[in-house]
Amino acid sequence: MREVYVAGIGITSFSRLEYPLAEIAAYPAMLALRDAGLHAVDQVYVANMGSARINSQSALGSAVVDTLGLTPAGAERIENGPASGASAVKQGFLGVAAGMYEVVLVTGCERMREVNNLEATDFVATMTHPLAEYVYGVTLPAHAAMFTRLYMERYGVTARHLAMVAVKNHANAMLNPFAHLHQPITVEGILDSPEAFTNNPYVAEPLRFFDCCPVSDGGAAVILASREKMAELGKPPVRLAGIGQATDTLAVFERPDPTDLLAVRRSAASAFAMAGLTPGDVHVAELHDAFTILEIAESEEAGFFPKGEGHLALEKGATALGGPLPINPSGGLKGKGHPVGATGVGQVHEIVTQLRGDAGERQVAGARVGFTCNFGGFGNNVISMVFVREE
Amino acid sequence: MERQIHAYACRRCGALHYPFRMVCRECGENGPHEFDPVPLPKEGTLLTFTFVHNLPAEYEVARLGLGVVELSNGLRMLGQLDIADPKLGMKVVGEVEVVRREAYARRYGMVFRAA
Amino acid sequence: MGVDLEQILRPIDSPLAPYPPKFMTVASGETLVIRQVDRDEIPTLLLHVEPLLHVERDFYDVVAARVYAELLAYYRYRMQDEYVLVGQIGGHLAAIVNGRTVNPRQGMSLHTLALRRGLRIGAHCFAAKMEYHIDILGQDEVFIVAESPIGFRRWMIEYQLEKRFEISHELGGVPSYALTRGLFDRARSSLVVGRRPVPPELLAEAQAGILPPTDPPRPPADLLAATRAMYDSTGTALLLQRGRQELEAGHA
Repeated sequence: MREVYVAGIGITSFSRLEYPLAEIAAYPAMLALRDAGLHAVDQVYVANMGSARINSQSALGSAVVDTLGLTPAGAERIENGPASGASAVKQGFLGVAAGMYEVVLVTGCERMREVNNLEATDFVATMTHPLAEYVYGVTLPAHAAMFTRLYMERYGVTARHLAMVAVKNHANAMLNPFAHLHQPITVEGILDSPEAFTNNPYVAEPLRFFDCCPVSDGGAAVILASREKMAELGKPPVRLAGIGQATDTLAVFERPDPTDLLAVRRSAASAFAMAGLTPGDVHVAELHDAFTILEIAESEEAGFFPKGEGHLALEKGATALGGPLPINPSGGLKGKGHPVGATGVGQVHEIVTQLRGDAGERQVAGARVGFTCNFGGFGNNVISMVFVREE
Repeated sequence: MERQIHAYACRRCGALHYPFRMVCRECGENGPHEFDPVPLPKEGTLLTFTFVHNLPAEYEVARLGLGVVELSNGLRMLGQLDIADPKLGMKVVGEVEVVRREAYARRYGMVFRAA
Repeated sequence: MGVDLEQILRPIDSPLAPYPPKFMTVASGETLVIRQVDRDEIPTLLLHVEPLLHVERDFYDVVAARVYAELLAYYRYRMQDEYVLVGQIGGHLAAIVNGRTVNPRQGMSLHTLALRRGLRIGAHCFAAKMEYHIDILGQDEVFIVAESPIGFRRWMIEYQLEKRFEISHELGGVPSYALTRGLFDRARSSLVVGRRPVPPELLAEAQAGILPPTDPPRPPADLLAATRAMYDSTGTALLLQRGRQELEAGHA
């Protein structure tokens, strides 16, 4: 298996984009191609979840490769719920690692806001088990809420810890020009003040408005290349050193321990094993905080903190921008937004930016090893990745 | 008419599954649909719950109670809760009722109440 | 001489108890002041509503057009028993809500226009309106409709408003929902928030003048971009429009 590097990156604002979906995929792809100094690639991978239902566009891969003028390169749309982005990166990696392609384009996109939020909520809920979950009206926030209740009961996580994650990620997003939300919030405003209940109402108890990521449109793209191609292009060598993926039962209630996220644990372990590294080697991480509780739980399952102690590390500021292990310097899904198909690729964009030293005010000093976790469904399908800056 | 929700017993090894899957998780030896439907017990213990406020459009209620219940035979399931003040670990009993209306269809599922 | 026409054309307003201002902390830690405004402050409000006429998303354009009409009608004495409340943060305009009384018992909620988003300011000001009708004016019920799905979820579903479909709401004649005193009392803990009295410096700052909104919704670079994106994915209409504008600019 050959080594695979990231040769170019591009991203749109994650917000509300009133452009056709194929453009939302194509624009960051153009930026990534320009970053790498390329006019052609061998294969195109398009990550997206909702194109057929929300945007009435099927065969999105074909639409994107054409609008980019990259035909006759092969193209596919890759769907894995919210982990579509990482799945597409994984497919791109495999193409180059196997020696079949020299350089590929991976672009993730989503245009959630083409429909109203009731429709968007229902669409996301279709990820749940159709007979045992969806039929009851369960939504992803409902799953996260039931998980949170148990985490609070067993490990002592409180609403204050959840609020701290939101405040931290909003603050980080202020430094990210592409983030969806540029709105600082305070624990007083969302938890302590007499009006906090209206500022921060329940979405699914005990999760509240500021515990849930926004609904966003957006696109992000990366170019993956072989070592030989990288030498030609002369870009800073950031290598995709490890990928791990694991699945879990579709019905959340069928998992033996309802506070475990086994797919995160297993995928992270595989990714580190492949990279020949450990969680202790990581300088910066982008985790999938679709709900604030998930940043805490994933930081434990990935191996950064012991199980049940993620919130203690958060309290100590260990995961803040200036701390020993900054988590979600981009603002995470909570602050920078969650265009479902783009998120996994957006996480790679941030880590590569950090490892190249281009993150400006949110730069983690001396970052050489980065980690991403892209969480599909409610932990049914998770992909973790490890990136290393060489030389 | 009392409605049931069924678990599925593998015809080769007897392992119970809920929800349905095509291949037995324990032995993997069964042919497709080689399961016997077994009605789920209706008594159980509440493991976790939530009240969902942001619901899809067809639910015209302000909030919906949902919970995971561990049934008396060890299997777990998700159900709606008709319980004003749920507590973790409380005993509940279920009944199969309409839990969702989609276009012209009525979908049935378990609704749990305090035992 | 003869008849004073203006006297005939003006509606006769009933005396309405004034809305006592209140303040609250929003999610950002800043302080929101909600107070009633009189006709003399309407011209300033019109200035800040006008740009929203061109923001298509979330029905801002329809709401802004109607709010503009209602504020202007209030200013020029062509709307009966209308009231206008504003929300301000640091003196900057954050929201405008308005409504009117149909008769002593029943109120008609008109609009809720949030000019600063992401902090649930619209929700706070909508609740203040309901407090005004039920608690301050002592009415029995308020009729409500929603132009946008966001409004529908927040009000109709969250407060479980009663359907009053036999009553056509003034806004476009669509079927009304009603917030009754009973529903209001049940939701009181989440509806009646905020603190009184407003500290004197805070109130003085708000009353000193309505400053422009800090981060209002802005129209996209191309007007009707959303519509074009929906019906014309090639963007040809956009390109043609741009081409035409460049031509015209060239001629000018």
